[in-house]
Amino acid sequence: MRKLFPALLILALVLVLSACAQQPSPAQPAQEPAAGAAEQPAEPGAAPAGARVLRASFAWPTNIDPAMGSDFSSGTALANLYDTLVFPNPDGSVKPWLAESWESSDDGLTWTFQLRSGVKFHDGSDLTASDVVYSMERMQAVGEGFAYLFTDVVADVSAPDESTVVFTLSQPNGLFLPSLIRLYVLNEDLVRANTKAEGPYGENGDYGQEFLQTNDAGSGPYQVAEFPLEEYLLMERFGDWWGEFAPNAPDQFRMIAATEPATIRTLMSNQELDISDQWQPIESLEALQQIDGVEVAAFSNLTGFYFMLNNQLAPLDDLHCRRAVSYGFDYDTAVSLEWPGTTAMVGPVPKALGGHNPDVMVYPYDPERAREELAQCQYADAIQDYPIEFVWISEVPDEEKFALLFQANMADIGIPVEIVSMPWLSVVENTSKLETSPHLVSIYVSSDLPEAGPLLKQRYHSSTAATWSQNEWLLDPELDAAIDDSLATVDQEERFAKYRAIQADLAERAPSVFVYDQVEKHAYQSYLDWPAARGEIIPVMGYNIWAPAIGVNK
Amino acid sequence: MSQRSTAMPSLGREAWREMERNSRRENWGRAWYKFSHNPLSVIGLATVLLIVLLAIFAPFVTPYPEHAGPFTDFANAKQPPSLAHLFGTDVVGRDVFTRTIFGFRFSLSMGLVVLSLVVPPGVLLGLVAGYYHGTWLDTVIMRITDIFLAVPPLILALAIASVLKPNLFNSMLAVSLMWWPWYTRLVYGLTTQMRNEYFTTSAEIMGASRWHILFREILPNCVSPIFTKMSLDMGWVILIGASLSFVGLGVQPPKPGLGTMVANGARYLPDLWWIALFPALAIVVIVLGFNLLGDGLRDLFAAEEI
Repeated sequence: MRKLFPALLILALVLVLSACAQQPSPAQPAQEPAAGAAEQPAEPGAAPAGARVLRASFAWPTNIDPAMGSDFSSGTALANLYDTLVFPNPDGSVKPWLAESWESSDDGLTWTFQLRSGVKFHDGSDLTASDVVYSMERMQAVGEGFAYLFTDVVADVSAPDESTVVFTLSQPNGLFLPSLIRLYVLNEDLVRANTKAEGPYGENGDYGQEFLQTNDAGSGPYQVAEFPLEEYLLMERFGDWWGEFAPNAPDQFRMIAATEPATIRTLMSNQELDISDQWQPIESLEALQQIDGVEVAAFSNLTGFYFMLNNQLAPLDDLHCRRAVSYGFDYDTAVSLEWPGTTAMVGPVPKALGGHNPDVMVYPYDPERAREELAQCQYADAIQDYPIEFVWISEVPDEEKFALLFQANMADIGIPVEIVSMPWLSVVENTSKLETSPHLVSIYVSSDLPEAGPLLKQRYHSSTAATWSQNEWLLDPELDAAIDDSLATVDQEERFAKYRAIQADLAERAPSVFVYDQVEKHAYQSYLDWPAARGEIIPVMGYNIWAPAIGVNK
Repeated sequence: MSQRSTAMPSLGREAWREMERNSRRENWGRAWYKFSHNPLSVIGLATVLLIVLLAIFAPFVTPYPEHAGPFTDFANAKQPPSLAHLFGTDVVGRDVFTRTIFGFRFSLSMGLVVLSLVVPPGVLLGLVAGYYHGTWLDTVIMRITDIFLAVPPLILALAIASVLKPNLFNSMLAVSLMWWPWYTRLVYGLTTQMRNEYFTTSAEIMGASRWHILFREILPNCVSPIFTKMSLDMGWVILIGASLSFVGLGVQPPKPGLGTMVANGARYLPDLWWIALFPALAIVVIVLGFNLLGDGLRDLFAAEEI
């Protein structure tokens, strides 16, 4: 018996060890239900009986500050919490939203918007033109997230009367109108009332950053009900929203911080989750499809999968080493590991974007050419002393396959690779400084607008070098000027021609490994009436899980 | 208690040696008899021997040694266990059996390196503190030891390993830093007890040096408990190492760490059960083996004391 005890103990430990793989279910946070809600189910914030809830999982963190959030979960939350002047259509154009009409001056520098009347913020106050002015000023001052769309674009914004907003641009800009889908209109009075005096923005203190971290100040279809930062974001329907909800649109929308496949599987099969995150491994999606009533929606979403090479860090600061890496990777195998419909990338932006250049220099898989390029690289003789650090995002388990494939491919041509898995939060932190940016990080980047220019800016312009969307650190003033110039071109043909020239130039520098155009996959419950699953895709990140348009027919 | 003998002057040198050889052989024989009396101990020994042999000869006994390095073969990914792949293949097409056997290498080297880093300083500190019992030296050493013992071992190792660059060496270092106090405690207890025994005091009276007393009189009497603890600890160190590699702080890919393999495989449970199950069982077997062996040794030494 004495010997049996340690044996059992060990067995128990191993079991505990493997149980650690399953994160605690985020659907049941450790909180007591509100007092006086005795007859309600134990789940905190649970909707009253019969309420419709939409639950979707996301890779965390989610930043709901309109001047800061820019990733997939943040973009989704912002689209549900805030209204914007214009709203994206499935074809990539925009339709009137808070703005009922607009006109631009002949020189394209002055844009005048007439606002819809009777729009209420979540606290009941009226949305007026001065709120729009304040939102734009705040966006530019804080300068993170989607602010790059407006930095150096908008010179001045003013509100001549309660329902008129006038933007003055510093130069003509073909993308100004669609960019406005990223200008989330804030309740100025509410934010000012919650602004801390001390902060980096002078008389604006912290510009309400602390408040907006966990609260919204919007007028959108949903409002924040609970937001324990690490766990979930619970939003509830805003009854006085001016717009129209789809029949059976959810009363509550819960965004859950979970991507761990075992957790997702359990939640899905218990019908505790309605839409899965897009980061489930293929194996997991195949298994999810087997569950009764669960289907998989797959659609193109203007997202490219990149191995972002650090162009400032040896050995990848040498063009030939970068080309060797580009020629040495087995793209066909990578594509074959993905959901059907995925295709290899051609050049620096996804093929579906307006102004994509199909004739850029490409790097087909060719180990022989890779070795030739490597031989010309200045680090060729000492390449073993320069192992490439490959960072993949731990929340996206499928990325490890690509890391291992890359490692095997590189071993083939003689380049050593070290694989590191890193949580998204640390990746965001590390890529914000040149000193901590790794050799290579594999990231999916979505275009914020349906044409190539903004993505080129987001990926390769100096203004985005200190963010997760650029690990390349190109810091090339000529390239910056070319990108800015293309974005300022009003005529579409001309603009697209400039995009193409930039792509051709970039492709020759092999700044990144262009892996594939992603197909976005979500498992979902078939009782949902979900436009994206029906094929009505809005090609703008964050708008496909837009709760007012989703029916929960349960 | 002391096993040191004094020669009988009436016997010749050769005869004495012969007698000593015989009695040693006899001792071994008796020890083996006692040890083998408990089948569990023998199973433990056999398991440990088998694992050590498999680990040493891994490149020769595994069917696909290249799968332990940078290798992918997506055409053969996710195969269930079969004759070609005893434990199946993982999601990038590597043979799980091969990787498990290679995983033993890292587990064993983890255990061996950690213990050989930990035991000498731990024992030395315990000896010194125990011998100078009641002095400031004792206080300093033992209070530091207490500080280390007060922090939960896995938490401390996790903290250390996450500050350093994640690799096998640093995780060994992290575990070593938290493991030595156990040996200091153990030897300290034995030493404080032994420094008042007659053989110690008589050595002192005869003018033996402190060095002699510490290493020739006291240390040999601590050896059996130390060995017992080491063989028991092997299992625990391997388990902690697996826990570290489970959270990504141990062996780095593509090298196969058992903990890493379990962590990665757990994503594909229950459909691709073999990817996580076999490395998990391997951890069970290796830890269990060392524990059974350690228990056997403890019983053996305990019996000899009497």
